[in-house]
Amino acid sequence: MMTVHETHRSRVGVVLGPGWSHTVVVRGRTIEAEHPAEDSDAEPDRVLASVGALTDDPASVTVDVAPLLLDAVRRRRNVSPVAVIRITPRPARDPTFARSPAALVEQLVAARYFVPGGHDLLGNELRQLDRQALARVCTQLAASTVRDVAVVSPGSQACPAHERDVADAIQAAVPGARIAVASDYGGQGLAGREATVILDGALGAHLDELLDRCERSLARGSGRSTLDVARSDGGCSTAYHVRSMPVLALAATEALELSGAAHLAGEPNCRVLLEEPAKTLSGEVRHGIPQVQSAIYSALETDLVIPVVTLVPGASVSAGTERVSDQPVVTSRRNRLTLAGVGAAVSRPSAWLDEVATISSADELDNVRQETIERATGIVMANGAAPGSAYLVDVSAVALPYSSSGTIRIRVRVTGEPDPSLVAAKDHP
Amino acid sequence: MSDPTSYVGSDSSIDRPDVPALFEGARFFAPAVGTSNGTPLSTWLTELLDHNGPVPLWRVETLPPETPCVATCVIGSGSALADLPPTGDEFELAVRQLERVHGHRFEAVYPLAAATVSALAPVAVASQLGVPLLDADGMGSTFALIHHTAMHLNGVPPTPLVVLGPTGESVTIDVLVAPRADRLLRAVVDTLGGWAALAAYPTTAGVLRHAALRGTVSRLLNVGRVLLQRSDPETLIARLSAITGSRRIGRARIAELEHLSRPTDGAVPAHPTSIVANEIGGQSRQFRIELRSEIVAVFADGVLTAGAPDLTTLVDVSRSELVALDSIQIGDVVDILATHADAMWYSPEGMQMVGLSSHNIPLAHPQQLG
Repeated sequence: MMTVHETHRSRVGVVLGPGWSHTVVVRGRTIEAEHPAEDSDAEPDRVLASVGALTDDPASVTVDVAPLLLDAVRRRRNVSPVAVIRITPRPARDPTFARSPAALVEQLVAARYFVPGGHDLLGNELRQLDRQALARVCTQLAASTVRDVAVVSPGSQACPAHERDVADAIQAAVPGARIAVASDYGGQGLAGREATVILDGALGAHLDELLDRCERSLARGSGRSTLDVARSDGGCSTAYHVRSMPVLALAATEALELSGAAHLAGEPNCRVLLEEPAKTLSGEVRHGIPQVQSAIYSALETDLVIPVVTLVPGASVSAGTERVSDQPVVTSRRNRLTLAGVGAAVSRPSAWLDEVATISSADELDNVRQETIERATGIVMANGAAPGSAYLVDVSAVALPYSSSGTIRIRVRVTGEPDPSLVAAKDHP
Repeated sequence: MSDPTSYVGSDSSIDRPDVPALFEGARFFAPAVGTSNGTPLSTWLTELLDHNGPVPLWRVETLPPETPCVATCVIGSGSALADLPPTGDEFELAVRQLERVHGHRFEAVYPLAAATVSALAPVAVASQLGVPLLDADGMGSTFALIHHTAMHLNGVPPTPLVVLGPTGESVTIDVLVAPRADRLLRAVVDTLGGWAALAAYPTTAGVLRHAALRGTVSRLLNVGRVLLQRSDPETLIARLSAITGSRRIGRARIAELEHLSRPTDGAVPAHPTSIVANEIGGQSRQFRIELRSEIVAVFADGVLTAGAPDLTTLVDVSRSELVALDSIQIGDVVDILATHADAMWYSPEGMQMVGLSSHNIPLAHPQQLG
């Protein structure tokens, strides 16, 4: 089985930003070529078309589109207006609770609708879905021009029935609607779950168009048609998978910087210090992939339920780290785009699940754990991992404080090696 | 207070810039939930203070003794609250409902537990009602049951009380014996959606002068300001120690999480969990950290080094920030900090209520051993 450390074939990582790009060709731990571009030369079509000029027959081409997506959100360019349908037992009485706490996310919302319904964290129904209210919302949506819809309901991680019923009704009433439902992501917290699907809706059309251009240009320039897309957890997915969950491509760059620095240093378990003249940022890499958490994504000041890297700023923190860590410290002064390109090039198919479950015995916990690992493994395989290569990076199950006894939060992270036969089969039928 | 990192001995009001420090400090005194779980309440509180102005924070002895006061908090799970946030009227309605039962208009609010999201809710309801917040609370951190309070130990009954959930439904409870209140509440809170607004312990400022823990809100704000400074772990711990008297037990990498690791009676929320962590440097000890909804005991190579009612907190060394107990991951490097609780909790009555034996750990507390 080929691994990113053993391969004799090159790998390509491309970071695409607004008016700039950075392409890196990596073979083993060596950077074979590096090509920064600006202005019209940095257009995704040109960048991907020129990959063939940098290297022959690379094992993979992975693109990080996060800077482009972030720019689109910040400047409200190339983003689609989103209708949000919140399913809760009661509507918000205070306007603060009726909108996203993150201003940059709320600006993407064109309309908000409320449908009575919802479940608690364990999936117990708190209020029946109000189908008359749903019908009224469908009528209003059909009459509007908004076609990207985000649906979120408390407790849908445990019981997605209300979200699915709402999605089905919208699909029937508004056939062209693109619908993102929060239960597809799991995670905790209505604010973060809602922000995740709002961003999904806002970025979906733009990402589709962007990846279409990248794939076409790559095929034209190098003859290969498969493209991987970097994810926020430092892994990658097939372009097909990311199209269905666009937010996964947001916030990838910081994760790639960490894994790129660790890869070049040959340290799969380390603390990484990213040194720049004005500041130092730090993060951790375990098993060759960056340490992530479902947390506040600082660039948009919003909670998200996708895993993201939180780089810790401040020279004082990083200086302290050298004294306290029991692992090697990798200090990198390289251009951070070079590191991100390397990280993209060596990224591996990955999956992350973050769910709530209930257990009453140790056996039941084992079953829940095993079932979650199997599902995450299935996702990794769908993301392009080679058969038999998937392995468990992390499984953490913790009791939820002040919840009923037996309520746990379980997080599973699985990764695998890219499947070279998948690339060959697609590119050379 | 405009500078969120400035120091004060005792605050006179809580304003918009204080909210981040309030929440960070609240997480120190009960690290049950992560930052994102507090987002709905902290955003709400910020906007309330913006709109209504600062909430006066008064020492209990400055109020006339006959002033009617009520305790409020979030009862239930912070995760449930994050997933089903308030609509905005729950806390105010709970207090108003208790006023109708009690027959008095409350003129001041105090936190039942000045910790976790329950430190934010009383400030929000004080802002809504236009009354001052008392610089006092009932626990000084968070204990598991509603009668685990200084008020109860001083003979103040928790009832009549009102719980009002995010569904808009409410229940009024009155009991003859305080421990019955929590048993009745648990089932109700689950049915209401996993959390609810609580208004309880109606009493007067005169009673609270000796029945509540004083200065705990100011202390919490100061701890929060230290945490927001994002200093390196050594400096952070030294500063925390100066304010709270906390001591570092050790620095360790988390190696294992075990569930259902001790017998459970179901009367206390969250099942017993254990963390196994290997000390980095020092004596290379193996720590075993016993959890319920909070950390209840720490063993080093099998020797009890801290235990309830001590407040035990984990600091993520790589990020120099508090670790939320619902977000612990294997591989994390943490500093284990222990802080003494109020002296009241080490009395025989206090230890019986919130000490190690209440968590089925039949060992004497290190302080009892001298």
